[in-house]
Amino acid sequence: MIYLLSVTIMMGTPLLFGALAEVIAERTGMMVTAIEGIFLMGAWAGFVGGYLSGSLTVGFLAAMLAGLLVAGLYGWICIYLNQHQVVTGVAINLLVVGLCSFLHRVIFGVPITPLTVNPLATIPIPLLSKIPLLGEILFNQNILTYIIYLLAPFSYFMLYRTSIGLTIRSAGENPEAVDVAGINVLKVRFLAVLLAGVMGGVAGAFYSIGFLGMFTTNIIGGRGWIAFAICFLGNWNPKGAVIGTLAFGFAEAIAIYMQSIGNSALFPNELFIALPYIMTIVLTISRKSFSVPAKLGVPYLKEN
Amino acid sequence: MQAKLRDLLITNILAIVLGLVASGLMLLFLGKNPVNAYSVLITSVVRDGYTFADIFVKATPLMFTALAFAFTYKANLYNIGAQGQFYIGAVIAAAGSLLLQNILPGWLVLIITLLLTIVGGGLWGAFIGFVKAKYNSNEFLVSMMSTYVALAIMNYSLRTFLMETKAEYPQTDALAASVWLPRIIPGTRLHIGFVLAVLACVGVWVLLYKTTLGYRIRAVGYNAGAAEMSGINAKKLYILAFFISGALAGMAGFTEVNGVQHMLVQGFNPDLGAAGIGIAILANGNPIGIIFAAVLFGALKVGGTIMGQMSGIPSSIIELMQGFVMVFVILSYFVRTWLENNREKRKLRKAVAK
Repeated sequence: MIYLLSVTIMMGTPLLFGALAEVIAERTGMMVTAIEGIFLMGAWAGFVGGYLSGSLTVGFLAAMLAGLLVAGLYGWICIYLNQHQVVTGVAINLLVVGLCSFLHRVIFGVPITPLTVNPLATIPIPLLSKIPLLGEILFNQNILTYIIYLLAPFSYFMLYRTSIGLTIRSAGENPEAVDVAGINVLKVRFLAVLLAGVMGGVAGAFYSIGFLGMFTTNIIGGRGWIAFAICFLGNWNPKGAVIGTLAFGFAEAIAIYMQSIGNSALFPNELFIALPYIMTIVLTISRKSFSVPAKLGVPYLKEN
Repeated sequence: MQAKLRDLLITNILAIVLGLVASGLMLLFLGKNPVNAYSVLITSVVRDGYTFADIFVKATPLMFTALAFAFTYKANLYNIGAQGQFYIGAVIAAAGSLLLQNILPGWLVLIITLLLTIVGGGLWGAFIGFVKAKYNSNEFLVSMMSTYVALAIMNYSLRTFLMETKAEYPQTDALAASVWLPRIIPGTRLHIGFVLAVLACVGVWVLLYKTTLGYRIRAVGYNAGAAEMSGINAKKLYILAFFISGALAGMAGFTEVNGVQHMLVQGFNPDLGAAGIGIAILANGNPIGIIFAAVLFGALKVGGTIMGQMSGIPSSIIELMQGFVMVFVILSYFVRTWLENNREKRKLRKAVAK
């Protein structure tokens, strides 16, 4: 059980990165439907950076840059060229799959043995990690896990207590008002999408170099969409995102655990693999009220 | 209207060319000459009837998944779960064929299997419409998630009751030749499923533009509120639209299993759903345009496979080409709007000058 909870926190890390990124962007009115592609690009760039330089820091920087580029393309098409967010996202996701597997081949050829890097080490926090139970679960994680769980309250504060947060939220609720206040709506949205790209890139790299230590093109396998879903289910609120992340992290932890003990006769492995996705559907159905940002997915066109 | 159609053709062709050029430039990273690669590609695609016919073989399932996206899109709904509906169709097609092939005559098995995939894929899709109508769930999210559930179901059945008798790989036994879809050109893989797909495109066009149901679906797409006011039951339409959409995607499973693979293999055709969306937007959602757009994507697939067999070019070039073409097609939407606005402005200026 301790193991399960500890894995829950760890597997929640990239989901929370993605979900918070999505919360901030969607609050400005931008669904980042390219999130799956951003994750994958981040995972790939992170691995390449980490493998070639031998430094995970370089890897994560590369992942941030890669996420930024994908998000930049997405934001440019959706915000400045007013194209459809869902359709653009699907196209970019497909392009990224092609790019990653193609470039991976360009750089590494066809390796005989799988290439690996040493994943992020856990950093036990002195004293705190010695607390029975809680210490092992909460304070014996890797650096990214600490960062993101600290970023969550920070982003809550930023969204609801600062003028930047007000601008972000208004861009998604009432962009005209933001415009009248002399703030460039498109710029706000674009910056939010870029930020989502950077965070999504880190999230992706967490899978490749944060925990598995290798890269395959199906490494993300819908986790970007799960982060996307957590943002919806968490009601576009960092608090909700944390709760959702823990729920999905737990589902993933169970899946990993069940796979490690082999097939049980009663419940097939596939059920546990599908569990996060089934959970999303069930939760989407059971949630009654949502406070969807009013202009979510709607391009902002200024009349002139 | 004439000018609009001209814009559509020119910008789309440009988008395709640019997409191919961009992927060609990527080949430079591998130290390959893209001009060489593409000329080999073109000559080998038209080299023999078998390869050429394969373009239409590849286009067949793509037409179905593109229709699946385009159909709900007309009602302003997003079904991005065609991949999952295709998997469900494929599982049902394989299970139905294997179960019935020794009991009933081949043609009857084919008809029953087709109907089963339509119902199965349709119900899998209708679930999305149902939760949208009943609980106001986000159909985009639910359809995306249902794909992963469908994938798990396929993997499970291939590991258990559908697994081959040798029990070595996660795949089914080969289907008996009696339940293969008949070939329409001997010596190629082109099967009757292609005709079925073209008929489906025409059928969907008729349904959308010549029937009351199609009118209602489009009305809901334009303005759901107004449609509801005029007495159209939008909720019922959501379910129906998703049923039809899922059924179309499910039929792709039937034509692939009974027409091409003659068995069900784990993880086959993983990008049908995404490519279908690309085709639908390339065709601007028009069912007849989908026929041509799907043939183009089919050609990319066949060409990419041939390129992949050439020395040192990975088969991921297919996804690369598809991805680049899709992105450029989206950009061409922007160019078209821009062209049209300019035209309107010129018209206005002329009118003012007079």
